Amino acid sequence: MELKKYILREDEIPRQWYNILADVNLNPPLGPDGNPVSPDQLAPVFPMNLIEQEASTERWIDIPEEVLSVLNIWRPAPLVRAVALEKALDTPARIYYKNESLSPPGSHKPNTAVAQAYYNKAFGIKRVTTETGAGQWGSALAFACAQFGVECKIYMVRISFDQKPYRKIMMASWGGNCIPSPSNETKAGREALEKDPDTPGSLGIAISEAIEEAVADESGQTRYSLGSVLNHVLLHQTIIGLEAKKQMELAGDYPDIIIGCAGGGSNFAGLSFPFVLDKINGKQIEIYPVEPAGCPTLTKAPFVYDHGDTARYTPLLPMHSLGHAFVPPPFHAGGLRYHGMAPLVSQLVDEGLLEPKSVKQNAVFKAGILAARTEGILPAPETNHALATVIDEALKAKEEGKEKVILFNWSGHGLLDLTAYDSYLSGQIKDIVLSMDEIAECEKIYADFPKPQHLKHK
Amino acid sequence: MDDNDINNLERRCPRLGSRISFRYCLISGEDDNPCWKIFDCWWEYFDVESYLKANLPAEVFEQLVEKAAAQPKNKLASIVEIAEQAKKEKTNK
Repeated sequence: MELKKYILREDEIPRQWYNILADVNLNPPLGPDGNPVSPDQLAPVFPMNLIEQEASTERWIDIPEEVLSVLNIWRPAPLVRAVALEKALDTPARIYYKNESLSPPGSHKPNTAVAQAYYNKAFGIKRVTTETGAGQWGSALAFACAQFGVECKIYMVRISFDQKPYRKIMMASWGGNCIPSPSNETKAGREALEKDPDTPGSLGIAISEAIEEAVADESGQTRYSLGSVLNHVLLHQTIIGLEAKKQMELAGDYPDIIIGCAGGGSNFAGLSFPFVLDKINGKQIEIYPVEPAGCPTLTKAPFVYDHGDTARYTPLLPMHSLGHAFVPPPFHAGGLRYHGMAPLVSQLVDEGLLEPKSVKQNAVFKAGILAARTEGILPAPETNHALATVIDEALKAKEEGKEKVILFNWSGHGLLDLTAYDSYLSGQIKDIVLSMDEIAECEKIYADFPKPQHLKHK
Repeated sequence: MDDNDINNLERRCPRLGSRISFRYCLISGEDDNPCWKIFDCWWEYFDVESYLKANLPAEVFEQLVEKAAAQPKNKLASIVEIAEQAKKEKTNK
């Protein structure tokens, strides 16, 4: 029988997170005054210990024992050899994945939720607020807060609140106070309800409500929590890749290729950053963040300072962008819009340490179905993006007759996202391709914009 | 597809993580305008740009295209902006 799972004992769990800011120079976000955002500006929103982590350049940061004892509920997470998927693809590639679907809420999100709940508690915070869409992050934070006795208030976008009861029940079971947004509990919510009492809500309103509640608390004992994008969130996720490194050693292998869905950056960064360190130190390794085709944030857009709006009210930010005034060509309307990548991930792409890939929706869901039928776990929709690229690379290895070692992050299960497969199964999705000429044309628009420094790793 | 078919199209919203209809995307942006990701999300289903161009006031369409083409605010900067607004409201009370 082939060995399928590589498991670390609880006492082998990594005891430090890897902070990539020790090895990478990052252009800072600029505030409205044109200066870098300061800790003072963040103090009403986040506890100071997390603000310090956000800016820290220490390479290794100790994981508190209290955090480890909660992570041990499901960690170390297994590294799994995807033997059945390999067989289905008839590939010489050896495919491994970190199974992050085994956490109580079913995804990688609690890796940071647990740490954030702990640091809030340690700073004397009694209540944490957040927003959630369908509830994946909200349930992770509710779970984490329950472990530390911190109150958790979750503003869930009303359309999801009404449509998806299961996550809501999960949050309530862990003691989270999940309410539909807009609500009557904040000014932002009341204004939205005044305009339209039947509004289905939006993430924008929910975020405003969660931050407003934290900032407006006169006692100073409430803070806000975010589950993606920020440096400290990515830091907490590196436990995934640090475990994987130990487990790859157990397997007697080392990855040639690492793949993760890019999204807000946290599950991708969690797996890949510890291997980026190896790459900086000379290892030959390909690292692919994957994003939806038609939105080639990193695949095709250059790295510039740009405004977030045409009025230029928002700060200039270093990011992959096609320019604030870019007008898309007819029909290829999906191409060039989404730039929500974590700044750290953008930076690493700019340095050539990561090579972004994009996949189309058809391929994404086809990959998810194949993975479910071979490996047995129904993947979260985000995981399917990584899977589609894994399959591409495994088939390429077959064509080339190479025994590539591929490692990817199975970031969560899709058991509460079943309807996401409907569009694919009912054949609603078409494949359309963008042209590089159209993208080249848009580059002229930001020709006069200031350019961020093309920083190199340390 | 007629307008009714289009409005009733459904997919998983990558921001919310739940199933929504195209109709929701038309109103879930700032000031009840379309979401800035509407092009991204629907281009694989139908010619969403032509549809919006034909059905939105020219100014709204132009603003949407510009917003969609721009990057969103950096999250940290965006959080600071919301927090400072909330602090101002608190002080004004």
